[in-house]
Amino acid sequence: MVYGEEKMKLSWKIWLLIIVLGFSLLAMFGMPPTFLEKGVLITSVEPNSIAFEQGLRQGQIITNIDGTPIENLESFSNALQGKFNSNENIKIIIQTKNSEAILFSNHVPNITVAEIPKTNIQTGLDLAGGSRALVQAEDKKLSSIEINDLVDITRNRFSEFGLADINVFPVSDLTGNHFMLVEVAGATKTDLEELISKQGKFEAKIGNETVFIGGERDIASVARSGQDSGIYSCDQSQEGYFCNFRFTIFLSEDAAKRHAEITKDLEVNVTSKGSYLSESLDLFVDDKLVDSLSIGEGLKGRVTTQISISGSGSGTTRNEAYDDASKSMHKLQTILITGSLPYKLEIVKLDTISPVLGKEFIKSIFLAGFAALLMVTIIIFARYKKFKSSMALLITSVSEIIIILGIASFIKWNLDLPSIAGIIATIGIGIDQQIIILDEARQKISLSIKQKLKRALTIILGAYFTAVVALIPLLWAGAGLLKGFAITTLIGITSGVLITRPAFADMVKRIEE
Amino acid sequence: MKEQTEKWYNKNYKLLLIIPVALLLFSLIYMAIFYSNNQDLIYKDISLTGGTSVTIFGKINLFDLEQTLSEKLEEVNIREISNLITREQKAVIIEIKTEGCNELDVKQTKKILEDYLGYELVEGDNASFECTGSSLSESFYKQLLVAILFAFFFMAIVVFIIFRTFVPSMTVILSAFADILMALTLVNIFGMKMSSAGIIALLMLIGYSVDTNILLTTRLLKRHEGTVNQRIFGAFKTGITMTLTSLLAIVIALLVVKSFSPILTQIFTILSIGLCFDILNTWVTNTSILKWYMEKKK
Repeated sequence: MVYGEEKMKLSWKIWLLIIVLGFSLLAMFGMPPTFLEKGVLITSVEPNSIAFEQGLRQGQIITNIDGTPIENLESFSNALQGKFNSNENIKIIIQTKNSEAILFSNHVPNITVAEIPKTNIQTGLDLAGGSRALVQAEDKKLSSIEINDLVDITRNRFSEFGLADINVFPVSDLTGNHFMLVEVAGATKTDLEELISKQGKFEAKIGNETVFIGGERDIASVARSGQDSGIYSCDQSQEGYFCNFRFTIFLSEDAAKRHAEITKDLEVNVTSKGSYLSESLDLFVDDKLVDSLSIGEGLKGRVTTQISISGSGSGTTRNEAYDDASKSMHKLQTILITGSLPYKLEIVKLDTISPVLGKEFIKSIFLAGFAALLMVTIIIFARYKKFKSSMALLITSVSEIIIILGIASFIKWNLDLPSIAGIIATIGIGIDQQIIILDEARQKISLSIKQKLKRALTIILGAYFTAVVALIPLLWAGAGLLKGFAITTLIGITSGVLITRPAFADMVKRIEE
Repeated sequence: MKEQTEKWYNKNYKLLLIIPVALLLFSLIYMAIFYSNNQDLIYKDISLTGGTSVTIFGKINLFDLEQTLSEKLEEVNIREISNLITREQKAVIIEIKTEGCNELDVKQTKKILEDYLGYELVEGDNASFECTGSSLSESFYKQLLVAILFAFFFMAIVVFIIFRTFVPSMTVILSAFADILMALTLVNIFGMKMSSAGIIALLMLIGYSVDTNILLTTRLLKRHEGTVNQRIFGAFKTGITMTLTSLLAIVIALLVVKSFSPILTQIFTILSIGLCFDILNTWVTNTSILKWYMEKKK
């Protein structure tokens, strides 16, 4: 053979496989590898807390607290232990990988931390835990424009509530239905339903007439801090405690005129507490009366843009009542700012998944994969009785898994259960096609090995295209919830046809020659 | 001996077709009756009918729980999740048919379970709640069926483009159809409730089935080395290795995930059933038709 000299060199196809493998490992583990990194990862920071103000953010890695290096969760909790025993403000210096935060506080920083993940592979909700809701309008088919508006409003609302780390995006399905998908990663306990399903319709009425509604058309601005907004009193009653809040809103010109128009014909009642108009200003949220405000005599028929909104919260303890009141105030403010939706929302799918089983599940998947691969190797070895070919097949299959995981980490695809099923399907198809290559190469016919391999690749290409077209409808079916299966399978079989199969064919060529 | 086998095969290969034809007819009739009885092609689980699946972590007496719940709820299905090696119970999955996923529906379910357990269930902490509304499930199911139909249709087009002749292309398509139909029939005979994952498994079956069939058809029609029987035998050796490795790997994986993931268990079960039928449909149905076709063409 003329190849004599070249035999020791690897062909470009095998080099390509090696390079792609290298990139995949890089995408999976990062550079420097994340499993070598020391510290703890911040998974959430309470908005408006001291930690937040000093620049600590979700995703940062804490490496040092007050000069003590932080290596893991244990050293993190050791470093903070005993620091906040007294009620006095103390100073702590938290160093993250790229910044430093100095906190003066009398309590443990309002952050949650976790071990740094060992790989960049992201697992989906069904493995990592979290909440997911698929939302539709009740009794109304939303257009894609409407759904995009809904997504925007919802995003605003979530950020108004101080909820970061929530993904809201539009999805659609095969029949042209549009949905909004809301995902909260991790084990954060949030009242997704409460936030989503409430339409957030705000109306202020006098009698039966609407004076103004939530949203920027009627409301120019809402005071959120300072002396124009806050809880001003807490009292004890027979049933427990209640706290009152008050904040100022500024109406638009139109709304103010409407107010004047409606109030100008009302009568004035003189009571012992003062003179008020005969009707009160009633505040409704989602058609439920939340408060009635008496209107002072001075406002009768006046074009006023400034209105004070009040309400209350209750609880069995003073603190509870205070929290309840501030929550209600925040909610009301949000609704007033973002406005209401012209339709009612319905949650058509709601999953709240605990992360408890996820880890064990991944372990058992690995075990299943390993056992299956071992079985395949045994069969291949029994059939061909050739160590080299069997090893080449095994190595190719393992590299296929690495490439899929690498690409998934690179495009930040969340691996969920359907994705894992897809990986399994790909490995099976991959092994099948490698067997085709092996057998075609070994056929006892008067063709060169190159021609034989070409024939094998023709069969494989045929099988590839049928698989691709069969997977495409699944990208949209069922609001894309099974997309993971199609995506991983497509990644797997495509990289198979482009990279691993040609490389395997080359290995076989070498072995057969 | 070998010669004798070949002689027998040449004489009887058409007769062999009786087995798959009988099975196919049986499946068709069974499915027709099934459809007229149930107005549906499968028994659907709650992922396709709508309902709530609650996973509670910890050790819970299944029998006791089932008794209590079936008194209070209409359709309840309880499964156990356990450690693969120690067999220690890790969690129970309770599937309950509910209409919607509104706060009220979820709270009601939760209350019944909490009353039995005597402690609070915290969603996302000591319990997982997965709820699918019935209207969504219905459209979900329809779309999956549409997806399978399209997948099948697209696959057929590609197969026609590859082989460009009617009979060989049709045999590939027929074989994939028979695999799915027979698997579906057996699943229904077992009374297995299908989830969306199970329908995906049917889609995967298309992929696995087409692989061996394209191999066989290419070897028989596009190659000219050796006799038809030699080519069949060569293809058979490759194809059966392919199917058996897949089948064994899937059965092994099935044994591992069985105690853990109902979803993957269902996918693997349906795949292994389908692959068994694929052996019959590729190496009896498809091979006999192609051999017949080639003898006639001579």
